[in-house]
Amino acid sequence: MLNVALPKGRLGDKVYRLFKAAGYDCAAMEQDDRRLVLTDEKGEMSYLLVKPSDVAIYVEHGAADVGVVGKDVLLEGGSDVYELLDLGFGKCRMAEAAPVGFREDRQRPLRVATKYPAIARRFYAAQSREIEIIKLNGSIELAPLLGLSDVIVDIVETGTTLRQNNLEVTREILPVSARFIANKAAMKFKEPAISGLLSSIQAQLNQKEERP
Amino acid sequence: MSVPDVLGPQERLVLSLRGLYESYGYTRFPMRRFEEYALYLENKSFLTSESVLSFTNASGQLMALKPDVTLSIVKRARPERGQVEKLYYHESVYRLSATDHEFTEIGQLGVELLGDVDLYGACEVLRLAIESLRLTGADFVLDVSHMGFAGGLLADAGLDGAQREQASRLIRQKNAHELARMLSQWQVPPFYAGRISQLPTLCGDFTQTLRRAADIAVGTDMKQAVGELSSLYAALDALGLCGHVRLDFSILNDLDYYNGLVFQGYVEGAPRVALSGGRYDKLMRKFGKAGDGLGFAVYLDQLQRVLARPAGDDVDVLVLYGAQDEAPGIFRALEELRAQGLRVLAAGTPPPGLRAGRTLRCRNGELEEVSGAC
Repeated sequence: MLNVALPKGRLGDKVYRLFKAAGYDCAAMEQDDRRLVLTDEKGEMSYLLVKPSDVAIYVEHGAADVGVVGKDVLLEGGSDVYELLDLGFGKCRMAEAAPVGFREDRQRPLRVATKYPAIARRFYAAQSREIEIIKLNGSIELAPLLGLSDVIVDIVETGTTLRQNNLEVTREILPVSARFIANKAAMKFKEPAISGLLSSIQAQLNQKEERP
Repeated sequence: MSVPDVLGPQERLVLSLRGLYESYGYTRFPMRRFEEYALYLENKSFLTSESVLSFTNASGQLMALKPDVTLSIVKRARPERGQVEKLYYHESVYRLSATDHEFTEIGQLGVELLGDVDLYGACEVLRLAIESLRLTGADFVLDVSHMGFAGGLLADAGLDGAQREQASRLIRQKNAHELARMLSQWQVPPFYAGRISQLPTLCGDFTQTLRRAADIAVGTDMKQAVGELSSLYAALDALGLCGHVRLDFSILNDLDYYNGLVFQGYVEGAPRVALSGGRYDKLMRKFGKAGDGLGFAVYLDQLQRVLARPAGDDVDVLVLYGAQDEAPGIFRALEELRAQGLRVLAAGTPPPGLRAGRTLRCRNGELEEVSGAC
């Protein structure tokens, strides 16, 4: 049996629909069920619904064999897992944003508010820019408005929240989308099951692409 | 209680592994817990993590608790050409834990073969790796690769140092989609890009995968790697050792230190690599040593979950004595039970949380059963 960690919420629902279309359905997932571990009738798949930021942790520690997680979470956690497929949805980008008309003072460290300190640190280190990280857990856009930080590093989907708060993207950091990951040891001992799942999903994704 | 009964599963495994290595003539390499910090600073990329636990010694020199054993062995080894030195170690290393990002002490056992590493030597080390994994008692897989294959391909494709490092990281993650994106961004000629992008999935059954590898091999390094792997496989197969051996070209150690055979062992029930090794002639050259080097380490911390002992009683018998009992009388009462090889705990009151097989009360040197034992 394969243990699959899915992020609770919108992304998880979308991933489940893809798995279902690929032939890995699970009736319990479609009921309004409060259980966190759901197994299909055939006993082939066991779905675990976990917090999006915990998916990679479950997979790295072998509590789940495979999982689906956003590239942002994967990079931030630095998990040691195989990244087998880009599912191509849940698309957004990681970017630096600042108040419209912001001019950077290169004489002092840049104050960066973010939920993603590891990604931000790596990005600015690669540019040899000294920074001061302010780790926040939500409403990142507020930080530059109140003078808490100079800029923010966050994921940007449509840019509406930024515009409404008079912020604009100043630098692109990386594109983000949902990734299919696998535990390294599971890949050795459950390889046929994982490869089977992977190729069915790949076939589904290709079909969708062909459809206009 | 006899000595073997006292040993936990991990201690048993350690002793069996040491017995295995000694039976092939490997001798234990004694060493200190610490080294000069500079050793690790100069060889940062050889280490799995850059964090080293450091301290200052009495003369003000910066020292470090060993995060790695191979560097210490290579530094002290003196094998000349035409000689071999077969060593093993059982040491603690101090590394950042992957889970809580704090320093932890990790038990590590390993084997190093230094000097002239020929085909027999390579087979011997691989055999020891296979037998080491077998001793855990769980199902296992040994994935084998050769650094010359991917290394030669990346060099021939004209990638610079930083690009090679990034490509290696993506290959290790089996991240074919991003690798393809980067190759086109770097404008790698399709002849090479097509071959590089196969590396993440070039794995599986040894003979089949080797055939696929031979089909895409270009340049001397790649062809030599295929040749070496093929003769190794033939030797191991003749010994009937190939049942658990597979080929996986996504295994890539640091290109600056490793050059030939590399391998990783997985044990069912342990989520991470449990054994890792390879050929490190380049590391030997960095230390000015003439000989070659091949070795592996067994990560005992990763095997803890596999070796876990089923939860049983803490002691076989709990003997409760009262204030009126004299010490010699209590001892006499225990003696009989201990002579039967039982674990006996004597106490005035039952220790909280203790699980005992049965509970006896000592009264005037006589033992009687207590009903409703804890």
